[in-house]
Amino acid sequence: MSITYTHRHVLEDHITGFETRPNANHLSVFRRPAIAYVLAHAGHESDVDLALDMADGLSKRICGPAEWLAVSQEMTPDNLMRSLTSIAGAAVLDDSDGRVLMRLDGPHARKILAKCVAVDLHPDAFALDASAPMLIAHVSGNLARTAEDAFELIVQRSTAGTVFEEIKEMGREFALTAGFA
Amino acid sequence: MASLITCPHCGVRPKEEFTVRGDALPQRPASHAPDEAWHAYVYLRDNVKGVIFEHWHHVGGCRRFLVVERDNVSHAVLSVTDAALFRRPDVPGEDAQASAGKGLA
Ligand SMILES: [Zn+2]
Repeated sequence: MSITYTHRHVLEDHITGFETRPNANHLSVFRRPAIAYVLAHAGHESDVDLALDMADGLSKRICGPAEWLAVSQEMTPDNLMRSLTSIAGAAVLDDSDGRVLMRLDGPHARKILAKCVAVDLHPDAFALDASAPMLIAHVSGNLARTAEDAFELIVQRSTAGTVFEEIKEMGREFALTAGFA
Repeated sequence: MASLITCPHCGVRPKEEFTVRGDALPQRPASHAPDEAWHAYVYLRDNVKGVIFEHWHHVGGCRRFLVVERDNVSHAVLSVTDAALFRRPDVPGEDAQASAGKGLA
């Protein structure tokens, strides 16, 4: 007997009802991003770091010394893995189904995040393309600044519901809307 | 307690992102050391008033173990080092120059 599996996003039940038109402040959830966990072998830290910067179609997120997440919205997880495993000195693990990628953007993104994280997100302190591991709504995750007023966050799949609801609540006073990208 | 810790990898972070794992100075005895030495290492601690060295685990961030040197009277944080790079300061009556760990490769 063969079983057909259907892909169901973990936040499917949190985003129900009719689709609202996105407001200026909007939280979008990516349905199927490719996310890989990358570690560097001793002695290869700066080479792997550089290779991740040079690689096309993916974005590097810092997780700690010699640890990164590679994120891509264009590539499939298989393609992302293929391009990462060619990097010498890197150990790569596909975590696309284990993590959830969300993007918060809008003029009040910082004010909303100020109630969720304890890190200075002022444009001078958290520059464009900066990323860091931190507690997001009491849950450890990774936050990155991807545009002037846009932030991408990655959390574990099992905690995504909590974080999603928390951010929505913190965004209520700014009429934050949420939906799949 | 000190409320802001400057992690060498992550920058200034609130203490909520860390778990304090206790005194960083006790030196692990050799495996064949007498029971008294092991008992002292596992259970006996000075209750210092002033400057202390503690292991802080940055669970909410880079997940590295850090050694935080802080004053428990003034709450000032004096230094934060990655535990792998930490060297114990000279302590009278102790085998001083034993290294805490191997360097971060
Ligand atoms: Zn850290």
